[in-house]
Amino acid sequence: MVTRVVTIAGFAIVILALFVLEFLGRRKNSRIPTLGQWLGFVMRNRVGRFLILLGWLWLGWHYFAR
Amino acid sequence: MAADNAPRWPDRPPGQPQLPSLRRHPVRKLLIGAGLVTYSWFAASTVPFTRNALLIVLVPGAVVGFMAYGRPPARIPPPESLDVTGFSYWAITIAALFEWEAAAFKDSSQWWHPALTDLVDPMLDAHPVKAAAILIWLLTGWGLVRR
Repeated sequence: MVTRVVTIAGFAIVILALFVLEFLGRRKNSRIPTLGQWLGFVMRNRVGRFLILLGWLWLGWHYFAR
Repeated sequence: MAADNAPRWPDRPPGQPQLPSLRRHPVRKLLIGAGLVTYSWFAASTVPFTRNALLIVLVPGAVVGFMAYGRPPARIPPPESLDVTGFSYWAITIAALFEWEAAAFKDSSQWWHPALTDLVDPMLDAHPVKAAAILIWLLTGWGLVRR
């Protein structure tokens, strides 16, 4: 039981950290990029664009098709 | 976000007609939104591991792929560079998420050490939640195409 709680807490902490980073990135003059900024940076070239879109498609398949 | 303040269609050469902005067409925006909500609602009723469940993912995938490579919309300009330290926070956090998931996956995702999928799947059993998740996924795809 404890292990399960620790595992779930671990996921919650990491996901919360992602939201905190987005919040911090939206502050004025922040050195931390927002999710949209770094995704845009990665997607500047065709390979990065393809991989990110592939990841998006995989997420849809993983959670909705199976 | 800083990038949102930049010109909206920097990739479109001068002289070429620009795609109409949804902001200038609230009715069109409303219709597209209603269409997406309707699609999400019906898509959420599909049963996993069926052909229909696969199609509700592949069809938007094909549309997004066509939009991304065949008829790209106006993109939000990306930043010229990223602060390495700032980006490293994201990289570390995402790596931690993958590591945590991999650890659960390695243990065959037992009840005492569940993978994220095992935690999310029961939530998706509720039809409105699954519909909302599909809608968010579709909007994310649109957001990515504009990047």
